[in-house]
Amino acid sequence: MSNEIDFDEILSKYRSDPFDYVDVCATHTGTVTFKVVEGDDVQAPSGEWLQIPGTALYEINRERNPKLIAAQTNGVVSTVRTELEGKFVEAGERLITIKHPLKKKEIIENILKEVLYLFRAPERAKYFFALDVQSRIEKKGARAVTVDQGEEVLTMSLMKRDTPIYYSGERGVIHSVYFKPGVSVSQGEPLLGVCAPEKLPLIQKIITRVKADWDSE
Amino acid sequence: MSPTLDATDMSSLSLTTDDIRCQCQQDLERRQQAGSKLDVEKIHRYGAFVGSVVERHRSLARAMDYCRELIAATEGAGRSVRSGTVVFADSLNRPRGRFDRVWHAPVGGLWGCLIHANTLLESSRRFVPLAVGVACCEAVRELGGTQAVLRWVNDVLVDGRKLAGFLVEGHTGPCYGEEYNLIGFGININNSCFPAELAGAAISLAEVLGHQVDLSLFSRIFLAHLSFTLGLLSLVEDEQLREESLNQEGHPLLSRWRELSDSLGRQVVYGLDVMMKPQYQAFAADLSVDGGLILKFADGYEKIEHCGEIRYL
Repeated sequence: MSNEIDFDEILSKYRSDPFDYVDVCATHTGTVTFKVVEGDDVQAPSGEWLQIPGTALYEINRERNPKLIAAQTNGVVSTVRTELEGKFVEAGERLITIKHPLKKKEIIENILKEVLYLFRAPERAKYFFALDVQSRIEKKGARAVTVDQGEEVLTMSLMKRDTPIYYSGERGVIHSVYFKPGVSVSQGEPLLGVCAPEKLPLIQKIITRVKADWDSE
Repeated sequence: MSPTLDATDMSSLSLTTDDIRCQCQQDLERRQQAGSKLDVEKIHRYGAFVGSVVERHRSLARAMDYCRELIAATEGAGRSVRSGTVVFADSLNRPRGRFDRVWHAPVGGLWGCLIHANTLLESSRRFVPLAVGVACCEAVRELGGTQAVLRWVNDVLVDGRKLAGFLVEGHTGPCYGEEYNLIGFGININNSCFPAELAGAAISLAEVLGHQVDLSLFSRIFLAHLSFTLGLLSLVEDEQLREESLNQEGHPLLSRWRELSDSLGRQVVYGLDVMMKPQYQAFAADLSVDGGLILKFADGYEKIEHCGEIRYL
């Protein structure tokens, strides 16, 4: 992590293009039928428990098992690979891109994700802090808790099979927690953002600067 | 090999690998006579690792901790723990359930842990917690506790009171990186005195049947059923791979779980830790093909949960 950050350049980038471009990829192999066209508004899952699915994006059919895939983020469909309509695709093939308008909080998070060490989910599951870490967080707050390489930091829970997750990465304090207990996290998504204690002032500077320079929410 | 206790620290439980094999043979014949459409012989061959080594102790702190130490000590000596090693203790001094819940494990119950060296693909491995619940529920019913039912994921209840609970933990061996499923079990058999906080919420098999139960007999029957349900996971996985079909609809373990459970068709409260942090209420509609619980909200929408727990309303 560099101590030198060109705030003007970063903020300028977000001012000129305050969007995330979220690629939607095939969940598995199968034949694709699109449900949206370019320019369509799409919505993320909603409801108190996110039980209302997002806008249907595409259907993928493998061995006569059709599966409707819904948007996980709101925004406008910027690209649809219409040449794949009705075609067989491999898992992971990019199908659609959604232009997602960023809020101030998301911009801060995006910048922080570039400077924090991100500890990612090994597989799609629900996560909670290991009991010892949880107790330290409750006493002192997450940003006063340091995690070390090899430390049992989280528990991954899937179908009542709990697996301890050991931290691998640079030693540091837990600055950002990206998961919520009871909410599934996809494989590869960040769980924790960790930074060395001496670099916390730099992180704070980023947050203060974005909050000050960014008008809208 | 015992890392912290001498193997001669025998408990009152009488159980050997041969006893378990004998019980598996009886289970096989019973299922064949009942006209099972499954290849029960092949299933029991797949599950024959269960009880490959039996360790019995008068007392342990926690069976799962002991198993982790056993794996580390064995690997440290340049060998591997035998898959199917089962560790029993007459009582546990520092038992705990999920999260930091207190678990009461006095003499009279069946407490222990099975070490399963994971050879299953992830799509089958997720069924291990269901498999152990089904095995226990069937064992309780076989001994006469016909009212035993399963509450998702794998609690065994009688008259709404908990008779057995299981905790499955993933573990990676420290030397070779081998993956294990540690299948912890706590089954109230002859222990009928529960602490005040569990009064009315727990029940023992002896209370259900009205007489003391032969703990060794129950252990054999439970492990024979576990041999079957874990073997079933391997058999179905093998068939799916050979037929190049990934469609898990109609997995026989899920069908059996549905037959044994009283969770479906009920209004429930759900939470990752439902006791401390209940999250929402919904209608338990069905199991998904991957064992998740399909919950229907009052607004008609559905959500599938793959972990957490429920309580009935």
